[in-house]
Amino acid sequence: MTAALDATDACDLRFGQVGIANVRIKRVDAAALCEELERRVRSAPQLFARSAVVLDLSHLLNLPDDGAVDALLEAVRSAGMLPVGLAYGTSETEALARRMGLPLIAKFRAAYEPASGAIAPPVAPEPAAAPASTPAREAPAADPAPERAQGSLHHDGTVRSGQQIYARDRDLVVTGTVANGAEVIADGDIHVYGGLRGRAMAGAQGSADARIFVHDFRAELVAIAGHYRVFEQIPKDLEGQSVRCWLEGEKLLLARL
Amino acid sequence: MTAEIIVVTSGKGGVGKTTTSASLATGLAMAGKKVAVIDFDVGLRNLDLIMGCERRVVYDFVNVVHGEATLKQSLIKDKRHDNLYVLAASQTRDKDALTQEGVEKVLDGLSEDGFDYVVCDSPAGIEKGAHLAMYFADHAVVVVNPEVSSVRDSDRILGLLASKTRRAERGDGAIKQHLLLTRYSPVRVANGDMLSVKDVEDILGINVVGVIPESEQVLAASNSGVPVILDENSQAGQAYHDTVARILGEERALRFLDVPKKGFLQRVFGG
Repeated sequence: MTAALDATDACDLRFGQVGIANVRIKRVDAAALCEELERRVRSAPQLFARSAVVLDLSHLLNLPDDGAVDALLEAVRSAGMLPVGLAYGTSETEALARRMGLPLIAKFRAAYEPASGAIAPPVAPEPAAAPASTPAREAPAADPAPERAQGSLHHDGTVRSGQQIYARDRDLVVTGTVANGAEVIADGDIHVYGGLRGRAMAGAQGSADARIFVHDFRAELVAIAGHYRVFEQIPKDLEGQSVRCWLEGEKLLLARL
Repeated sequence: MTAEIIVVTSGKGGVGKTTTSASLATGLAMAGKKVAVIDFDVGLRNLDLIMGCERRVVYDFVNVVHGEATLKQSLIKDKRHDNLYVLAASQTRDKDALTQEGVEKVLDGLSEDGFDYVVCDSPAGIEKGAHLAMYFADHAVVVVNPEVSSVRDSDRILGLLASKTRRAERGDGAIKQHLLLTRYSPVRVANGDMLSVKDVEDILGINVVGVIPESEQVLAASNSGVPVILDENSQAGQAYHDTVARILGEERALRFLDVPKKGFLQRVFGG
């Protein structure tokens, strides 16, 4: 406890945002992967040579076994890039990462869409304050990747400036106010029964059918599945009103309730 | 019998923490409590000036924390109240000179000496000095000015009070949070230049324990080393009296919230 306060700390521990390439595996073929990446490295060595990459296995129908993942990692390495971890996917991915001694890199918008292997979805812009890690990691669920399986996360009272609440794999219900500079994030829906003065990001893992409901709307930012809107000026017809927010295609829509 | 520890904090600087600490400690002493007030602003000490004891500082808080002086040697008895003591900050050290164990030792020592209240005057910011000032607290007086940046910083502090204190870590029940609005000007609120009491209460979601009106006497009192609560004629002094009474559990209505009506002569001659 006191170690964190001692003036003679051995280090500073901080979370920051770093650019990191994401290698999304579409089929388990180490040789093809190596070839493809080599071509990229050759075409832009300044950009890709020895760059840190994260292996994203979320677009594979079935998670490959440890040996196959090892081969993929080796393929990335021999192409001249440096794999540093696995992208966050399901609890199986988490178990795999643990077995391989690799970190799991959580993203704000990890695209976990098990069946859509064909086309990668367009990369949605990520708000600057996307969490660099998954706060309050819970024990992995036994059932692989049940979306919003555990009911909702309830937060009674105010979320203060600088605080961040993340409801992983579920909805988030806040009975108080979310202050300016506070952030509420959920993989499912977000309900705020007080005022929303800070930021709310629903569908944080890419679920486009997530919604945000706010009793008293004065938000700085709302986002669903990575599509976001910043409010420099709160529209007069929404300010202080009960508002819902949803996604239609690529468009983030807001309306009074 | 353990002492009740009250931290006076705000996040933002210049809102009136030290003025409040001095008046709060003096007010509690006037109510018959044995009180110590500690300046946690190591390196930028001010409390001794406001309390009017700057020339009597021999040993300070850092000396006690480091075991270079006893608590008894370092506590400065107030010249007006026998049951009020000041523990000054060191001006020559920086905030890293404080340690959590050292602060705990001082607070335990004050409890053993039969103090009823210890008022901790926090430095601005949310760094180590401010953290240590709030860590052991039972009550927090969050000083806020009626303007948006102060309100935002206070919101941050309220969040830290609910998570980064010993009570929060041990789950001993929440710190009692009191919101004190200072430098309040009813005229400017009426003109829409300043947030009202209700605005601030709405944004922060807690009620105020007192509203101290902007007053010229505060500056005059500070400069002469007399806590403004001792100036019975000033509205600020009276408002601090009300605040202390409320913290001690008394119910009192808020005063000095309305624009003062001009008297007949003022209306005739202006002013």
